[in-house]
Amino acid sequence: MNRRTFLRAAGALAGIAAFSCEDRREARRIEGALGGLSHVDLKWGKAPCRYCGTGCGVEVGVHGGKVVAVRGDAASPVNRGLLCVKGYHLPAMLYGKDRLLHPMRRNPDGKGFARISWDEALDLIAARFGETLKAHGPEAVAIYGSGQWTVFDGYAALKWFKGGLRSNQIEANARLCMASAVMGFMTQFQSDEPMGCYEDLEAGDDFVLWGNNMAEMHPVLFSRILERKRTSPGSRIVDIATRHTPTSDHADLYVEIRPGTDLALANGILHLLVSEGRVDEGFVKENVVFRRGIEDLERIGYGAAGAQAERYAFQDAARDSSLDDLKAFLADYAPARASAITGVPEAQIRALADLYGDPKRGTVSLWCMGVNQHVRGTWMNNLITDLHLLTGKISRPGNNPFSLTGQPSACGTVREVGTLANRLPADGVVTSKEHRSKVEAVWGLPEGTIPEKPGHHTVDMFRALARGEIRAMWIQVTNPMVSLPNLSRFERKPGDGRFIVVSDIYPTPTTDIADVILPSAAWVEREGVFGNTERRTQQWDKLVEPPGEAREDALQIIQVAKRMGLGHLFPWPEDAFHEPLFEEYRKLTLGTGKDLASYEDLRRTRGMLWPVVDGKETRYRYAAGHDPYVKKPKGVHFYKAKGYGEKAAVWLRPYHPPAESPDAEYPFWLSTGRVLEHWHTGSMTRRVKELHQAVPAAYVEVNRADALELGIRTGDLVRVETRRGSLELRAQVDGRGKTPKGSLFVAFFDEKRLVNRLTLDAMDSISKEPDYKKCAARVRKA
Amino acid sequence: MRRSVNRALLAALAAALEACSGGGAEEGPPAARSPATVRAARRAFDGAPPVIPHAPFGMACSSCHGASGVQVEGVGYAPPSPHEATAGLGASARCLQCHVFRETAAVFVASAFEGLRQDLRRGRRLNPLAPPVIPHQTLLRENCAACHTGPAAREEIRCTHPERVRCTQCHVAVQASEEFLR
Ligand code: SF4
Repeated sequence: MNRRTFLRAAGALAGIAAFSCEDRREARRIEGALGGLSHVDLKWGKAPCRYCGTGCGVEVGVHGGKVVAVRGDAASPVNRGLLCVKGYHLPAMLYGKDRLLHPMRRNPDGKGFARISWDEALDLIAARFGETLKAHGPEAVAIYGSGQWTVFDGYAALKWFKGGLRSNQIEANARLCMASAVMGFMTQFQSDEPMGCYEDLEAGDDFVLWGNNMAEMHPVLFSRILERKRTSPGSRIVDIATRHTPTSDHADLYVEIRPGTDLALANGILHLLVSEGRVDEGFVKENVVFRRGIEDLERIGYGAAGAQAERYAFQDAARDSSLDDLKAFLADYAPARASAITGVPEAQIRALADLYGDPKRGTVSLWCMGVNQHVRGTWMNNLITDLHLLTGKISRPGNNPFSLTGQPSACGTVREVGTLANRLPADGVVTSKEHRSKVEAVWGLPEGTIPEKPGHHTVDMFRALARGEIRAMWIQVTNPMVSLPNLSRFERKPGDGRFIVVSDIYPTPTTDIADVILPSAAWVEREGVFGNTERRTQQWDKLVEPPGEAREDALQIIQVAKRMGLGHLFPWPEDAFHEPLFEEYRKLTLGTGKDLASYEDLRRTRGMLWPVVDGKETRYRYAAGHDPYVKKPKGVHFYKAKGYGEKAAVWLRPYHPPAESPDAEYPFWLSTGRVLEHWHTGSMTRRVKELHQAVPAAYVEVNRADALELGIRTGDLVRVETRRGSLELRAQVDGRGKTPKGSLFVAFFDEKRLVNRLTLDAMDSISKEPDYKKCAARVRKA
Repeated sequence: MRRSVNRALLAALAAALEACSGGGAEEGPPAARSPATVRAARRAFDGAPPVIPHAPFGMACSSCHGASGVQVEGVGYAPPSPHEATAGLGASARCLQCHVFRETAAVFVASAFEGLRQDLRRGRRLNPLAPPVIPHQTLLRENCAACHTGPAAREEIRCTHPERVRCTQCHVAVQASEEFLR
């Protein structure tokens, strides 16, 4: 024992001697269990949070090969040390007793599963995908992932499918949550993802939330806004919502709108801006073009009725428009009419126009599922961005339209790698020969390898699976049997001739329908890269071994690809493929304005905001002095929008009503969403004791007046019904969310109470993202 | 080497102190649960935000848990918030972002998770006269008085000199286990 060690030990003794008798006994017990550890004895590694698109940095404390603690990473510019309750409880997410540990195959009688080896599982998958491909062509195989795929997983899947199997049948659940935002940015800037960053939350004066309950869904970002309000009392929060939420509690102005009428509200604001001369004409002249699409309701439809209920393939077509055309178009949305449609008082519409129209105040618009899961979600994205383009409040600190993402790598993987039926990396699309050739060249594949025709979008993909056109499907890192709309359409019976592989970390309703189940490594059990809402790419190292035989998803794909004779796509050692794979992918981003940081830089930093040029990140895209691709001395330059002469497009978009509205038979609105404590379908958060105990089951929020009329009280069992299904739930009157009269709200995380049996599979006309927020329902005491 | 020395010394100490623990039982009856056990039961691991140990009262948390605590009749002492002075995070604005109520005692699936326990070997100091170092993170715990003074402060960590308000003048937070060696 050296002198230092002795002093340290003596210090420890002095400390414990001061504790009470019971605590001494407790100390002894703890000493036995975990070796008398303190925070400084753990090994700490960095990682982004596993859950939402905020992408908070956490430090992960490891001891004895297990994650035993986390803390907010004070060095992360995202959260500066703060987390939400989900983030603080991350370690327990890994250790539910029912973790999937071994590959399993459904028994021949269809009932139950038996353990098989990895070799057997991979051989079987390679054989079944190979046979299906041969017998039925590339349209009959599919892979369905998520915005929780790491960049490695998504890139491996994309390369295997589009480059190896020559199939575009690859989709991800981000189609169900972010696709409308993608199409919003694509139609206006011809490049996906926001121009601003989280620093907007300190630089802005007014924060307009369009249909998103930020306090529960992006808690740490909401904390940043609340801190801005505390330190700058003139700043304001406007909450435009169909339901009073914990976010509304902090709003300076609560604007309650009728479901789906946000289109009319935005047009109402535009009407006032234009008619009162509050358009920044100089900015518009220099930077903006005008476009209109197809506006005929009959022609567009909703994807859920008639012939569209099987295949929905509506294509928008653009034509030129002008500021004068916009003025004429907006005549329909004078305050009185906008107010009549939306139920919002004229005074509030005027207040919003004053706010957007005030050139002295920084305005940040924020939105997420309310706008995206919307039968006209792309239109609504367009209209919010129109507000910023017409007032010149864009690409400047504190002035931006900022769409938020729900998943940790919806941006980094699905949107940037392009793991969708129609997309390729860095804003590429399969319909462009130029884009295909570029990818083929980097992949070392002959021209013409990647098919030109896009595959099915998600809802159609599952409809095709139900019809039997898709015969082999691999589902990774997501739980569609809980999250798809109008779920009963997609129920399947094992033994129906389809072959379904599901990779996950826990059993779910989706593994229940699988033929082969593969156990995956989760979060810090493998090396990863996620990209968050603000274009920040974040890398982490593997910190602990996965349990049992669990393997990371990317490796599962690579190993199947090798068995199908496609090993040349992944020429890297299996235990060291991450960096070379990332660097290959990065080549596709360089020079595009979506340039990613080098792997080395990502290792070293708490993430970097792309485009990263010469090792420097970009906080504000398209802005002179910030974005290295902008050569102008000042102002903005929308250099990605080649098709619009490097200007941004303002779109004229009318109001269309929702696909289904309450009527005599089903007199209530039904909306769905999340709660703070549970993430996505709850397959991870429900295995965390504290989170499950806080919200153990889904319930239905009922308005107080309705409840009085129907004799319903909090805790009563009620039956909620739609044209598609029926569900028993406990009622909640005036809980954390307060629905307006005539509307109901149910969270979708609860696999025992599947509200998606009730929802309607109507879709956005352009993005094909389903509208989970609006359908007609009725409720009565059970 | 260091670990094993600590362990041996601690075991010896524990044995020496056995008498006062009222016997060798590993787990005391619920009534005799130690403050450390009660504290641990409210946290997933040491450093995790505690769950709220009471039912919702339908009023703002800050009405009781402000910069200083209050005695609530029929309930007990409501300790102050340790984040009252946390700057730059909006950390005190939405308590329910991190602290949740317990609606049920059931679990969805049993868990094998074992989190970091509280290090009860508190008050490391170089010599008996030196001020003890701070053994925990100080972020979100800037209001030292919240836990180290007042009726809710555990006896063992109660400050003997609350009138000296600049705690970090003498007590520093430990950031690493390594020591400086030239
Ligand atoms: S869930 Fe979202 S807000 Fe909460 S800690 Fe994780 S990334 Fe941050």
